[in-house]
Amino acid sequence: MRFYVKYFAQRLFQFLLVVIIGINLTYVITHATPIDPVEQSIAAVTSFGNTSPEAIAMMRQSLRELYGLTGGPAEQYLNFWRRIATADFGPSLSVFPTPVSLLIARALPWTIGLLATATLLSWALGNLLGGLAGYYQDRRSLKFVAILAMGLHPVPYYIVALALLVMFGYVWPLLPISGGFGMNIEPGLTPTFVLSILKHSILPALSLMLVGLGGWFLGMRSVVANVVNEDYVVYAELAGVGRRRILRSYVMRNALLPQITGLALSLGAVFNGAIITEQVFGYPGVGALLISAVYAGDYGLVLGVTTISIIGVSTAVLIIDLVYPLLDPRVRTV
Amino acid sequence: MRLYISCITAFLCSLIGMAGLSRESVAQGALANLPRRETLILENPEGTIKNAGWFNIWAINAGGQSNGLQQAALDTLWYIDPDRGLDGVWQNSLAAEKPIYNADFTEMTVKLRRGIYWSDGVEFTAADVVYTVAAQIKYKNMRWSAALSLNVDAVEATEPYTIVFKLKKPNSRFHALFTVRWNAIWIMPKHVFEKVEDPLKFDFNKPVSLGAYVLHNYDPNGRWYIWHLRDDWQRTTLGAYGKPSPTYLAYVDPGPPEKRVIAQMNHELDVIHDVAPEGMFTLAKQSKSSVAWFKGFPYAHPDPTLPALIFNTQNDVFKSKDVRWALALLIDIKAVSMASYRGAATISAIGIPPTGAHPEFYHGPLQDWLSAFELDTGKRKIKPYDATVGQQIANMLRSSMDDQIPTDPKAIAAAFGMGWWKSDPQAATELLEKSGFKKVGNGWQAPDGKPFAVRVVVEGEARPVMTRAGSMIVEQWRRFGIDAKVDVAQGTLVTRRSAGDFDTLMSWSVETWGGHQDLSYFLDSWHSQFVAAPGTPQPPRNWQRWSHPDLDRVIEEIRNIGFDDPKGIELGREYVKIAVREMPTIPLMSYNVFTVMDTTYWTGYPTSQDPYTDPVPNWANSRAMFVRLKPRG
Repeated sequence: MRFYVKYFAQRLFQFLLVVIIGINLTYVITHATPIDPVEQSIAAVTSFGNTSPEAIAMMRQSLRELYGLTGGPAEQYLNFWRRIATADFGPSLSVFPTPVSLLIARALPWTIGLLATATLLSWALGNLLGGLAGYYQDRRSLKFVAILAMGLHPVPYYIVALALLVMFGYVWPLLPISGGFGMNIEPGLTPTFVLSILKHSILPALSLMLVGLGGWFLGMRSVVANVVNEDYVVYAELAGVGRRRILRSYVMRNALLPQITGLALSLGAVFNGAIITEQVFGYPGVGALLISAVYAGDYGLVLGVTTISIIGVSTAVLIIDLVYPLLDPRVRTV
Repeated sequence: MRLYISCITAFLCSLIGMAGLSRESVAQGALANLPRRETLILENPEGTIKNAGWFNIWAINAGGQSNGLQQAALDTLWYIDPDRGLDGVWQNSLAAEKPIYNADFTEMTVKLRRGIYWSDGVEFTAADVVYTVAAQIKYKNMRWSAALSLNVDAVEATEPYTIVFKLKKPNSRFHALFTVRWNAIWIMPKHVFEKVEDPLKFDFNKPVSLGAYVLHNYDPNGRWYIWHLRDDWQRTTLGAYGKPSPTYLAYVDPGPPEKRVIAQMNHELDVIHDVAPEGMFTLAKQSKSSVAWFKGFPYAHPDPTLPALIFNTQNDVFKSKDVRWALALLIDIKAVSMASYRGAATISAIGIPPTGAHPEFYHGPLQDWLSAFELDTGKRKIKPYDATVGQQIANMLRSSMDDQIPTDPKAIAAAFGMGWWKSDPQAATELLEKSGFKKVGNGWQAPDGKPFAVRVVVEGEARPVMTRAGSMIVEQWRRFGIDAKVDVAQGTLVTRRSAGDFDTLMSWSVETWGGHQDLSYFLDSWHSQFVAAPGTPQPPRNWQRWSHPDLDRVIEEIRNIGFDDPKGIELGREYVKIAVREMPTIPLMSYNVFTVMDTTYWTGYPTSQDPYTDPVPNWANSRAMFVRLKPRG
């Protein structure tokens, strides 16, 4: 128990250190951007409209005050940490005065829903098929799956996404290619809405799964290929234990440990959003939010999204670190 | 093993099952519970609106504006059409007649139209206009507060339908603030906003409309907005032109260009705002129901905006007009047209977009002057203008798409433009040498002995057509021995443009009304009084930071005459001549927008043959379409 308390304290310290360094780095990087949010706002107002130069000069000054950009760097930095401490990222500069936290709260469920589902499904399928391919190495069907996985894995994600888009959006137009749900559908717990969400998520989820599955498959197959040569597996076979039981209880369970680490990291990264997926499929989420914030110089929003992401990934790592000693007794001896 | 395979098969089947089995089901899914034949689906180029439920357009950039809000739900005093208009270019909208100024332009009186109602049944009166002005002045961070605070000394409703503005200083163009060219100051519903504690924090959801449509539904994620025709559409200003045909308007973000093309081929997007030239050509070939502004090549609608190569004239190298002219004479505009728009460009040698009423007032009448214009290279005088360049581009394209290229010279001029400057490297050499430059080996040296280096700032993938034009110009300058490079600004373009952080820039500093000859819309900002000191932000639109005493005089004279005064045309032509002599920017072409319209469900879109308005759907002026469209079949 004393080991575990010490271990917990060490990991918690590491977690806090990573979060603080990460957020500070993000703060520095976003504030070094050459994009001025005030100029972006003025350009949006004047791109088409009729505005006199005198009015622009006046507007420029009032926007600086409104956006809180008039204080010195130290004052802005302290304000930032004050807000972080209360989980308030302040107002978005590109859609002022809407709070950043509200924008993230609206986008995050879509990102988590899509990415968590796609990650879990590709993890489960990839590991299952990889485990089978590693154990039943002579099966033709599994060799075919291996070729498919190896073929798909190195293909750049956006190529797969675009291919699916053209295939199911144009050549064989079965699936919607944009948005989170259909037009004129009221959001709510209704079959129409849920079905529409499912339908709209198929292509983005499928694209993520097709690319992600190969990695899990290949990783699991190589781990299993090593595990099957372990003494305890050979002994079990010699002792006449059934092949299915060996696969389930002796091989897969042991081979899954590194894959669980990978899964936890992938789930933590869910908070980053899937920028390309959201762009290609017009899917709502934090990735699209982040991109638009970067182009608008909305560093309040960029900071909000990246802070959530840093905390998400760090928390995932912390959880793995804390759970690992319980799953793998060997860690306790380290 | 069989079990696992069964699981995978079942999963794949469920995917396909959920997808539905026919194209119709997808189309239906795209517009649940709405009659497709009564719905006009238009692209909103703003994309997905981050703050979807915000409709208070009077707060700066807090929500969407071309999501149907300004086209369908808002209204103001006047509209000027960028093309011909429903019954003329000028439209009295909430105003019953044109603005009435006193002799010295310090007072403007507006007579309002009667019988116009907000969508909640409250009558629109002068009190709404007075409130709009007063609120903007009171809350200094509202969108038009600066413009109104600078101009308005007092505003008063002398009668329920008459308003008198007393101005702080003479302004013969004050009405322009309330005149729609894309947008304008929209009138606020007094009875709604006066009950709000802080109008800057009020989302105005659900918006009360003054236009012919009311909000029906919107995507909380900001991808689509649906507007429904008001039952009392007769009590709106658009109603004066008849009943708008679409019962529903859906403004959507269809995604990147390739998805817009797919969506229109699937008949899920009636009006595409803009696509790359290649997308337009694909639709022209493969979608029989798609039409564009021009029936054939170059298809696109020329917007009253003039992309140009803009010099930073505060940069020592570009202070000399000879250097600016030399660089202009190194450009082969035919190659730039091919590289940028694949030939579908409408070129302009002068600083006015070749669109709307401008060819009639400026380009056409100035042809003789341009042909006679002489440029002194230091060694000789040349006549750099070639009036046949538009014709040459048409001829060049005829070999590959004969049936689509017009033969009538007027049609060619409308589609491809009139003339441009002859590419003349010898004259460019003489002009550079006149300015102290010299050629050393294969490269050119500036008078200070350093290599003559020019960076051309382009926006990058966000504006591919202009990026390609900039790259072609760089290529042509490099061939001549100038150390030219493309500088891709991406998202930093706006900041760099304002700060003057560029040598040259592919952008525009000229935007006009299009349908009206008055040039003050952009030209007033070119007065020397607004040129910022180097290193400080430049207000729009004189990005070239250039001034000239002769131009100041022209601008001041325009300020002292009425908006419709024919003398304005003469002064506008003087501006053109000054700009040609000085070449502060190299005008290239109009901003051609490939707006593509699907005729599967609707006909009667505006085209070059029936130019009753601009089809580009983010313009508030595009509301004119709603009353001229007809459902097919």
